[in-house]
Amino acid sequence: MAKTILIVDDSASVRQVVTIALKGAGYDVIAGVDGKDALTKLNGQRIHLIISDVNMPNMDGITFVAEARKLPAYKFTPIIMLTTESQEEKKRQAQAAGAKAWVTKPFQPEQMLSAVAKLIAP
Amino acid sequence: MVELIGIVVALLAGAAGGYGYARRRGARPAAPGQSAEPPAGDPMRGMTEFAGAVAPVWSAQIDSSRVQMESAVGRLTEKFAGIVDNLDSVLTTSSGALHDENAVAFDRSRQRLGEVVGTLNHALTAKRAALEELQTLLDLNDELRQMSGEVTRIAAQTNLLALNAAIEAARVGTAGAAFGVVALEVRELAERSHSTSERISAKVEGVAAAIGSVLASARDSAGREDQAVTYANEEVQAVLEDLRTVLSGLQDSSAELEQAAVGIRADIGQSLVNLQFQDRVGQILEHLRDSVDQFPGVVAEAGERAGEGRTLDPQALLDKLAANYTMAEEREAHKSGAQAAPSESEITFF
Repeated sequence: MAKTILIVDDSASVRQVVTIALKGAGYDVIAGVDGKDALTKLNGQRIHLIISDVNMPNMDGITFVAEARKLPAYKFTPIIMLTTESQEEKKRQAQAAGAKAWVTKPFQPEQMLSAVAKLIAP
Repeated sequence: MVELIGIVVALLAGAAGGYGYARRRGARPAAPGQSAEPPAGDPMRGMTEFAGAVAPVWSAQIDSSRVQMESAVGRLTEKFAGIVDNLDSVLTTSSGALHDENAVAFDRSRQRLGEVVGTLNHALTAKRAALEELQTLLDLNDELRQMSGEVTRIAAQTNLLALNAAIEAARVGTAGAAFGVVALEVRELAERSHSTSERISAKVEGVAAAIGSVLASARDSAGREDQAVTYANEEVQAVLEDLRTVLSGLQDSSAELEQAAVGIRADIGQSLVNLQFQDRVGQILEHLRDSVDQFPGVVAEAGERAGEGRTLDPQALLDKLAANYTMAEEREAHKSGAQAAPSESEITFF
């Protein structure tokens, strides 16, 4: 049974790159275009890991992580922040909200897969 | 774009500086309660109108470029993703069909054809056994022929003995009359035995001829069937070999196509990775657009506060621009005024 990963990013190209890399490694992928949209995907279905951008319209990634952590089903779901953001303060905020890793763009798919494998067994 | 904005900001700042100079040369600042807007003909008023006119156009052009790029790159990535999906589908179908199912079907066909040839061989073996039994029957018939000949010889000797007995009975006269009758009966029996033996011999010869004919025909047929089975077996093996060659060719061809598909998939994957520039450039353009949008307000505010002896300060606008930066290369370009390459990806685990 393939594990399911939720990718949240307002950039279609980033969503596609992440989706292709993850599907190529055997994961199932669902996508959200921003934090608000992603919260609607957290409807109780089993999600093994979340990858989220930080700077997004409607609801930013850090707020989304904090909101996701309030949902019992996703309290301990590993979350990777995937962002162009380089400010340490933002990184600390993401960690405080409940993120488990911080990956900066542009990324190589192998790096992302390595981070994913470290957080969930393949 | 950063350079363009910098030049424009510098020009406007210079013009505003000139305005400040003019004010210091004797122009009177607006009194409290009066409109802070510079009077008509005032250079600062012209500057405010200029900024108010051009900044929305710049902003619209930047945003239009950003949206067009985002839309085009989005469509491009969707197409690429579709190609990758199709390649994955082809790879799955191709490897499944030619590497697994066909190979298994080929092995199964070879096994079934082998079983058919084996069944024919079993039938031939059974037929050979029947022929051997028939040969045994022919041998037994020979023994019957010999036995019949023996009976014929015994009948002849018995006849001869009966004749001698009749002669001896006649010689003794009346006393041998009864013995003569017996001798006559024995002679008749001998003749009948001889006659029966000859009939048996004739029958045995008939049976032998029939068995010999059947045996010859069966042997001829078995020889032809043996050749037919050998031919069938060779043909089956030849057909299987042809099929194996065709299948092997298809598998080689399929493997080459798969290899090419895997290479194309990897190239597309790398192209998609490179298309991440859209996300970064889009954000830079957004920040510039926001800064351009702030530009008329900054100029207007400077005009309003010109009476306080303040000049148009580019730093305020630049600081607001810098506050929105998210990427290290934005800060680097801002600081150095030169191009800055994107930073290498980093992973931090908390």
